[in-house]
Amino acid sequence: MKKLSPIAYVPRRETVQTASLAPVALYLGAYLLVCFFSSDPLVLIAATVGVVIAGYGSGAKRAVNFSLKLGGFLALTMVVVNALVTGRGATVLARLGDWPLLGRVDVTAEAIAAGAVIGLRAMGTMVVIGVWSACVDPDRILQAVHGVARRSALTATLISRLVPLAATDYARIGEAATLRGPAASPVGRGAMAHRLLAGSLDRAVDVAATLELRGYGSSGSTARFRPVPSRYDRRFLLAGSLLMVVALAELAFGSGRFEAYPEISWEFGLEGPVAAIAFLIGGFVTWRPGNRKGRP
Amino acid sequence: MNPVASREATRGAGLALEFENLGYRYAGAEAAALQGVSLAIEPGEFVVLAGGSGSGKTSLLRAGCGLIPHFHGGEISGTARVAGRPTTESGPGELADVVGYVAQDPETQIVSTTVAAELDLPLRFRGDHPAERARAVEEVALALGIPHLLPRTVTTLSGGELQRVALAVALVTRPPLILLDEPTSQLDPVSGDELIWLLRRLNEEWGVAVVLAEHRLERCLAAADRVIAMDAGRIGFDGSPRDFLAWAVTEKPELATPSALVFAGAGIEPLPVGVRDARQILRDRARSTKPSTTGGDQPPNRWANAPRRATAFRSGQAGGVEPAREPVLKAKRLWVELDPGDGPVDVLRGIDLEVRAGEKVALMGRNGAGKSTLLRTAAGLVEPVSGSVEVPAGIALLTQNPGDFLVRERIGDELSGPAGEAALRAVGLDLSPERDPRDLSGGERQRLALAIALAGRMEGDELPGLVCLDEPTRGMDRGLKEHLTELAGRLAARGAAVVISTHDVEFAVAFADRVVLLGDGEVVADADMPTVLSGGWYFASEVARVFDRPGLVSIGQGIGLLATEGSGP
Repeated sequence: MKKLSPIAYVPRRETVQTASLAPVALYLGAYLLVCFFSSDPLVLIAATVGVVIAGYGSGAKRAVNFSLKLGGFLALTMVVVNALVTGRGATVLARLGDWPLLGRVDVTAEAIAAGAVIGLRAMGTMVVIGVWSACVDPDRILQAVHGVARRSALTATLISRLVPLAATDYARIGEAATLRGPAASPVGRGAMAHRLLAGSLDRAVDVAATLELRGYGSSGSTARFRPVPSRYDRRFLLAGSLLMVVALAELAFGSGRFEAYPEISWEFGLEGPVAAIAFLIGGFVTWRPGNRKGRP
Repeated sequence: MNPVASREATRGAGLALEFENLGYRYAGAEAAALQGVSLAIEPGEFVVLAGGSGSGKTSLLRAGCGLIPHFHGGEISGTARVAGRPTTESGPGELADVVGYVAQDPETQIVSTTVAAELDLPLRFRGDHPAERARAVEEVALALGIPHLLPRTVTTLSGGELQRVALAVALVTRPPLILLDEPTSQLDPVSGDELIWLLRRLNEEWGVAVVLAEHRLERCLAAADRVIAMDAGRIGFDGSPRDFLAWAVTEKPELATPSALVFAGAGIEPLPVGVRDARQILRDRARSTKPSTTGGDQPPNRWANAPRRATAFRSGQAGGVEPAREPVLKAKRLWVELDPGDGPVDVLRGIDLEVRAGEKVALMGRNGAGKSTLLRTAAGLVEPVSGSVEVPAGIALLTQNPGDFLVRERIGDELSGPAGEAALRAVGLDLSPERDPRDLSGGERQRLALAIALAGRMEGDELPGLVCLDEPTRGMDRGLKEHLTELAGRLAARGAAVVISTHDVEFAVAFADRVVLLGDGEVVADADMPTVLSGGWYFASEVARVFDRPGLVSIGQGIGLLATEGSGP
């Protein structure tokens, strides 16, 4: 029996899964935008918690937990690496002397804070991608892509299938890595990422060939995929539009609110908390009465 | 082209598939994959495509559906026509309504989330009306016996179910020609036989021309009208199944079926095309000759000097197992539960099993019976919900895709130092550390992956107690299986118990001295190989099915029986 990747799409009768692609893309896109670009820790934390709530509300508990674990590891790595390689910042917490390759290493509070912000961004982004992958039907993405990339099966595959393929390969290659003998070279994250990308692209080419064989891109292919409307479309459209406005405003006016260098400075105005509350509450949009909390 | 007009045009097109002096070379390849191939497939023909790995079978099928040259690029010469349309002018998308293609790996052929959506997709691409689509999906699902799968998510399907769905998708547009590339390679004997006879039924009832590339010819020759054997990119043989066997026994014994080799070895003519034919020939022979005259009044054996490489593979038997060896796998009341995504399922149900050092065990059973889960649990990848499993002398497990173990671009980067060298020696590999694992042959890649799993688990040159391989024979030709049999023998001779999960009964006959048969998570048979593989209909070698004698499974035994008794059943 196959082991299902934690971020593999599983059809469920939940809100995100049944809603049309465009409103959901708008809704999760707002979270992605703010997680990827915002530099305000409060907003980043709120947006991450919001998307975790959204993921739990749509039954993607496994995907959320997996993304949190992976994102948390990435975040921690970024904090450590930034603390060791960046000597900027006025508040020196520890002087670690001269290290090979790195030279003189001074750990500053500012470098840790800057690393934490980058780590928060990575973690939030991972959770958004995890929720998207687990809750949005790749068939809908393919149908949407067919409208704009009618001739290229490979483009369609890369857009709609690369993440699911990579997720499947990640589970398999990760398992093989644990089965390697103790004297075989360990699979580092770099080698794993390289193999994963190459393998997923190879498999994407195979899937693209299959799409061609199914008739994708043929001159007679005039199919138009009409989205099936859902009663949740309006909810996601409204919430997505509001959150997108907040996200754009945050990106336009929120930059500079938090600065790590040369000293940590954080302006506590009204905008940051408002955006944070919006993204926090926005997570509950995926919930509906009778939701079984965190159903895997 | 309008679908209806296309179908009408196809009906009047004459040949289903036609190649004229076709040559093809993949981009960047030194050798040509196809050379001077000329053949014509009539509508309604059932053709089996035989040949070893790399002989050109897959390339021929790809050329027949337009993937060559449109998707794979490269250099092409000569002409290929499908239903009268030159494939150089029409790509796979344009040819989708006149030819269906089913590749070896069903996982790369499924692109949708649910089975219903997968079946619907080609019809949508063709622009069919929703009512037409609904009817076509329903009918093809009924024809292939999969209506219950329609709402299922594809990730929850077994290998056999996936292969059926892939076949259904290829047929849903009702193409007059279907090309299949080793569709049974991942199927258990039951599902494999079902698929072949399903193809025959579609061929007879719908008039679909079938071109089926296969390594396990004993499964499909009886269903075929014609056999084409590929050899180094050229057509080596083209004729009826019976003539093919006569040719194969003398020219390419690795392509001959076990029953044909038995008959050839005993000097009996004609050579049988399948089990039923073999039994009929033996019955006729028994009626017409007395046992005491066996050999005396018979015509001279024209295959007496034929090469016996395949015979050796088929009849290769392990020596007896030393019963006093210590156990290297102990499973006690082992229960394992897995969640494929739609709720937990019992995969192993209270298994009791003990494997001792030096044993060669074939783990068999239907798709989804629990073979892989048992091996994965022994390797510690899966936690049992109750019971226990112990591997006191260590375990090395090679999973189904050896490529998953190969993550670097130099062999020396994968394995280095004395432990790495010892592991490479254990699997019989002597390769330059500079070579890229991706450039190795399939068999070499498998050995390298096994060496990676073994590295550091050996004490000096001493192997871990248990070496497991999960379905390693998928897509292998007989030559590669011989190498694998030799490797397993080498590992067992050095004291390791070798457990191989496989669907390939003939491989199990060659490799194993014990067979454990799983059914729905339980051990349903566990005995020495000849006992298990001669006692059933599906999990039985072809020789066993012909003679139906307890313990008689190999070619050598079959020849011996015919020599002493003159006839079988």
